[in-house]
Amino acid sequence: MKALILVGGFGTRLRPLTLSVPKPLVDFANKPMILHQIEALKAIGVTEVVLAINYQPEVMLNFLKDFEAKLEIKITCSQETEPLGTAGPLALARDKLIDKSGEPFFVLNSDVISEYPLREMIEFHKSHGGEASIMVTKVDEPSKYGVVVTEESTGKVERFVEKPKLFVGNKINAGIYLLNPSVLDRIQLRPTSIEKEVFPEIAAEGKLYAMVLPGFWMDIGQPRDYITGLRLYLDSLRKKASPKLAAGTHIIGNVLVDETAKIGEGCLIGPDVAIGPGCVVEPGVRLSRCTVMRGVRIKKHACISSSIIGWHSTVGQWARVENMTILGEDVHVCDEIYSNGGVVLPHKEIKSSILKPEIVM
Amino acid sequence: MGGSEERVVAVIMVGGPTKGTRFRPLSLNTPKPLFPLAGQPMVNHPISACKRIPNLAQIYLIGFYEEREFALFVSSISNELRVPVRYLKEDKPHGSAGGLYNFRDQIMEESPSHIFLLNCDVCCSFPLAEMLEAHISYRGMGTILVIEVSPESANQFGELVADPVTNELLHYTEKPETFVSDRINCGVYIFTPDIFTAIQGVSSQRKDRATLRRVSSFEALQPANRSLPSDFVRLDQDILSPLAGKKQFYVYETTDYWEQIKTPGMSLKCSGLYLAQFRRTSPDLLASGDGTKNAAISGNVYIHPSAKVHPTAKIGPNASISANARIGAGVRLVHCIILDDVEIKENAVVIHAIVGWKSSIGRWSRVQASGDHNTKLGVTILGESVTVEDEVVVINSIVLPNKTMNVSVQEEIIL
Repeated sequence: MKALILVGGFGTRLRPLTLSVPKPLVDFANKPMILHQIEALKAIGVTEVVLAINYQPEVMLNFLKDFEAKLEIKITCSQETEPLGTAGPLALARDKLIDKSGEPFFVLNSDVISEYPLREMIEFHKSHGGEASIMVTKVDEPSKYGVVVTEESTGKVERFVEKPKLFVGNKINAGIYLLNPSVLDRIQLRPTSIEKEVFPEIAAEGKLYAMVLPGFWMDIGQPRDYITGLRLYLDSLRKKASPKLAAGTHIIGNVLVDETAKIGEGCLIGPDVAIGPGCVVEPGVRLSRCTVMRGVRIKKHACISSSIIGWHSTVGQWARVENMTILGEDVHVCDEIYSNGGVVLPHKEIKSSILKPEIVM
Repeated sequence: MGGSEERVVAVIMVGGPTKGTRFRPLSLNTPKPLFPLAGQPMVNHPISACKRIPNLAQIYLIGFYEEREFALFVSSISNELRVPVRYLKEDKPHGSAGGLYNFRDQIMEESPSHIFLLNCDVCCSFPLAEMLEAHISYRGMGTILVIEVSPESANQFGELVADPVTNELLHYTEKPETFVSDRINCGVYIFTPDIFTAIQGVSSQRKDRATLRRVSSFEALQPANRSLPSDFVRLDQDILSPLAGKKQFYVYETTDYWEQIKTPGMSLKCSGLYLAQFRRTSPDLLASGDGTKNAAISGNVYIHPSAKVHPTAKIGPNASISANARIGAGVRLVHCIILDDVEIKENAVVIHAIVGWKSSIGRWSRVQASGDHNTKLGVTILGESVTVEDEVVVINSIVLPNKTMNVSVQEEIIL
């Protein structure tokens, strides 16, 4: 079985992290974002994944060679020379997605983190016999998104409503699709929107069905949602009683600690923290609701909450870092500094406190 | 004087990518030394000035950028200006004097009698031939270019005190807290080869001190004792300061313009200074037009030959338009740098801004700023491939590459 992951563009909303690596390679819960999706696809028997990209293909391809070997799954890139929207890339990758088997293929959006109930989706798709299946998820504020209006009992999609002013439903497109190869016949090789052009056409013919996604869903394309997404992800690990979660008197709630990371005496870690490979957390440190990426050193007595600390950065002694502070790669916060929502570009030293949210270039 | 043995070598320090983050966002896409001022890469200006040095044998660019980033530039500038230019990559920081010492073998290859040292991010008239003459007459180890500045601003720089008659350097101090002098170090020097002996002296002294002393644990905590590696030698603190007043160094004063190009805002100002210089020395490089066959030009304007400017546009003063830019009908450009492949659509207005490579400025849109070169948002900077949609206003803001502005903003940094 095959799959396409829409990787798209520059990831500008996740800057400054995406100034150092392309977005799919930004780590989430100690693993490159795209690896979460590739592993979920591999688990249900997908043998080939096509990445639809238009930015920094060399960096992506290098990374992928490593994972192709480790995961024993074929990974190829389909590169857009001009932006093709959300459907165009499928037409571009046509030859890679269709084979003689006539099997449906998955399409995933690379910004999405969820439970990936892909096996259940295959069953759903077979049972309704339609041309295309999409996952939808229930949200509190549907007007921010595109709402999918479905027939309650069958899940047949009646229509799509973009950012509705009045309540029409609370299910939105979760960015996970299972499509028959015939869908590709509906897509031309030009900038095309799958939600605005392709799906409404299939829905009008009564051949599009929606399945409600069980479990959590988050679009982690921007820092605030990234931090919320980590909480939901770790929560789902807890529900599965995953052994990956850390335990100990110094751990509160759900915490992920890479086996190569070191945590000192007298620390209090959690809830909702991910500590990456090679990190050093010195004694007396308090971490909550934050991500600490590979190679970071947090010095003694520091306190970090609701923030993302980028690769190889350091946070000084007694520093306090909070309120959506995002440190890019190789950022060094000096001792005793306070950062309230500082967004710091790579290779900087922070020698004076940031009292209110600001971008440091 | 001026015999065939009197060869001169020039060294231009160009810095490196993780140094000088102050030049972001422009430095996210291009090494700062290659950023264009008045239509030419920043480093072209000191290189062209070096051509006026009699008996110039070689120019070295020393920096931390990868060789491949400078390979193309170095070969094309060598051909274009018919002067040999080489790029040397430093493997680790050696300090401003240590860097020179690190490459002494290459620098001394042609047995030069004099060595110029220039900083690439200095904007001035580079009176190098006059400096050489003065230096020869002083007979010292080195001569430093100095300029008078306002007493209030002097403490941002190295302050020098010189004898008014002999021009000997009597005292040098870097960024002092109290007022010492209103003459400051311009970052342009000329040395005789015995500068290498002086630098080596500092290295050895530091090495000896490190092995002889047993530092107590208390002393080891003091910041002043955080010892520098023996091959890290700073020109200002380690050479000029100690040797001031010992008849080794002299000063040469310039009364022309001088600025440091540390931020994108300053690069706009310095582009204007170089355009004014072209008006004096090579006016045919500048554009002209009166709105009939060509666009109306006001003040000093540079337009690359491949750029297309609609005749109903009005350009200048202080505008610089790079290769393949397309300026549409009725566009007004004032105090700006328009980089390669930019498209500016009809009736747009750009004032006090830098528009990045391949960007697109929509019809009737307005990109402007206060023009205060010293504040962070005083000049609007659009990074590479930024799109400003029709009728959108962007004021006193910085926009990082690949963004689309579809709503108006003021005083913002858009990541």
